[in-house]
Amino acid sequence: MIKRSFFTLTKPRLSYDLVEPDPKEPKLIPIPSNLILLLNETVDGTRQALIKQGDAVEKGEKLRLYDDSTEYTISPVTGTLTTIDSYSDDFGSTSTYLVIKNDQGQASQKESITYDLKDDITSADEYLRTLPGAPPLKMLANDDVKISTIVITCADTDLLSTTHQYVTLKFLDEIKEGAQILKRITSVPKLCITVPENLKIQGGFDTIQVFKTSMAYPSNLPAMVLKDHLNIVLPAGQTPEDLGVCFISAEAVVSLARAYKTKSADFEKVMTIIGKQGAQYRVKATIGTPLSKIFKTFSIHINEQDRIIIGGPMKGVATYTPHHPVRPDMDTVILQDRDIIPELSDYPCINCGNCIRICPVNVPVNILVRYLEADQYEEAADKYDLESCIECGLCAYVCTAKIPLYQYIKLGKHELLNLRADV
Amino acid sequence: MNNTKLTVSHAPFWHDGDSLFQMNLNIMLATLPAVIFGIIQFGAPAVGVLALSLSSAMIWELIMNVISKKKITIGDLDAAVIGLLFGMMLPATAPWWFVITGTFVAVIIGKMIFGGIGANPFNPALLGMAFLMLSWKVFFDFDAAYVNYEFNFTALAPLAALKFQGVSEVAGLFPLGDLIMGKQVGAIGSTFGLGLILGGIYLILRGYIRWEIPVSFIAGIIVTSLCFSMANPDTYAGPAIHLFSGYTLIGAFFLATENSSSPVNQIPMLIYGFFAAVMIILMRNIGAYADGTILAILLLNVVNPLIDAIRPKALGKGVNNA
Repeated sequence: MIKRSFFTLTKPRLSYDLVEPDPKEPKLIPIPSNLILLLNETVDGTRQALIKQGDAVEKGEKLRLYDDSTEYTISPVTGTLTTIDSYSDDFGSTSTYLVIKNDQGQASQKESITYDLKDDITSADEYLRTLPGAPPLKMLANDDVKISTIVITCADTDLLSTTHQYVTLKFLDEIKEGAQILKRITSVPKLCITVPENLKIQGGFDTIQVFKTSMAYPSNLPAMVLKDHLNIVLPAGQTPEDLGVCFISAEAVVSLARAYKTKSADFEKVMTIIGKQGAQYRVKATIGTPLSKIFKTFSIHINEQDRIIIGGPMKGVATYTPHHPVRPDMDTVILQDRDIIPELSDYPCINCGNCIRICPVNVPVNILVRYLEADQYEEAADKYDLESCIECGLCAYVCTAKIPLYQYIKLGKHELLNLRADV
Repeated sequence: MNNTKLTVSHAPFWHDGDSLFQMNLNIMLATLPAVIFGIIQFGAPAVGVLALSLSSAMIWELIMNVISKKKITIGDLDAAVIGLLFGMMLPATAPWWFVITGTFVAVIIGKMIFGGIGANPFNPALLGMAFLMLSWKVFFDFDAAYVNYEFNFTALAPLAALKFQGVSEVAGLFPLGDLIMGKQVGAIGSTFGLGLILGGIYLILRGYIRWEIPVSFIAGIIVTSLCFSMANPDTYAGPAIHLFSGYTLIGAFFLATENSSSPVNQIPMLIYGFFAAVMIILMRNIGAYADGTILAILLLNVVNPLIDAIRPKALGKGVNNA
């Protein structure tokens, strides 16, 4: 954890981590006996599902709940479906989790099913949504969203994470290849790539426009990339997609290139694991592997009241179970010892102004939090710029009163959406 | 499946480690040079006043916590800071009931009834001071307060002398070096200018007070008093005596910078500091009080919410591009 420096006349600087110059091969985690997949759709008890417990599934098989489902997941192994149950995330939205028993041995894992991939986005969206890196194919295939610029992110968005940079260093050629495929299947005219300014890359990116991003957090967040490099100011309450800009991770581009080469899906996700003492491990694990298996491989012991953070320290999500599966978009997992978990308080804002000085987008956090505490979400959005927040988490990081500011803001945005949906 | 219970909470999962306790402790540390000097200068009575002021402020908060059935909050040292600053503004000869009444107004009326820390529109210590000043003006006559003391320097309160005897009479009585080094009559913690400046610079460097407020405050004192003095040097004193006497420096670094009652945006902070200082000089030169620091800062506390509305536009607000 980066602490406040003794002299803080200038605002604290948090820097992104740079990947080590000659990264080692990641450690391959063996495929476990049970894999867990999450499907972004709720089970409807009244309907007959397409899949049921006891079904045999093949490696690469597409699993859907119903005929008209738009959501699907792909089984990474050949095995048996043993459990279908519902799962709810931290904002209460429910999805379905499937447990697949891997009843083939390690060695005898069969080849994946091959797909009939054509050079258009619908065909890619049909099979490749759950590739490692989670390419946003659903959005690209959506006719209502007009995407005119694709930004490939080789710079990691959160602190500590180096997964994107690792992929960039190791698989540069496949990124270029994948970028060409993206261009071909989406016919998006403009392709850009973000690269950390200190990352040394052999060769160039040919026709792709390169944005050298600063090492200071939060310059790699989508809104900041838009502002600094594309000269677009993201209007409050809108997403980059609304402006026709789509962000895709370097790993997703690599996976796309491989998928088009082999006509089948890849399931091995590269991740950065950070242990309690800050030791970094790079692993390659099959999507669906429970995190506890990965920790066990490195003999990292998880105690009661420790915290497992999926994503980085500023924007990540804490999970309540060590069995949380590896997911396509999971770049970093951090294990935090219970002794160093910073405590929060229920103190009111003392108006010290630290959040104002650190906010990269000038949100009046000190006033905003007073409205959010009183559930005045409309007012907070109209007058105090709730929707301008780019969710970097810096305000809560520096808060002297230890108010969970970022949580208040996320909740505020969530409630605001609900309020507007009701109207 | 084992069921290890994990801690689940929301991002960010890091904190810079700062806390209210740390902040208030540092403010108290920063007052030490001035406080220790005051104790050496004014002796045991000064210790008594400071100790009573600090402890009674904390006890008032404790009593209020108990009565209102809220969590005990004296551990954050906010009441201690109020009590300490309050004590620093008193003469060493202040009677016990005077101190306790003052801290009652400061902590209970100035802070707790508004909802506690962060909710007070006025600086609590100043509110307590203003109450005492208006009620028992006689105790703030520093010349009378120290009548039994023997000093090896001019035993006259500089601002009162300036007010009632005129600038020509006091010329030469208060050399600048004496004023800076605390060789003047005044409140316990407000005479040692150098110590207050050192403490203030420490707090600025540590990031516990915002530099814009003291800097614009001092600039305001210098500019305004210089204007007066240039317009009529026979009636009005120059910046030196205004800057290093009375409550000016304790006001600049410790009172005007109180978090809850001061602005947080850059331009408002500059306006706030500057105009508080302008008001002080206006009161000293034209008004009825020898030292207007307390009322001037309170006045700007009232204006604070209005001027703090001047703030930079947030990203993407009112943008309709693309």
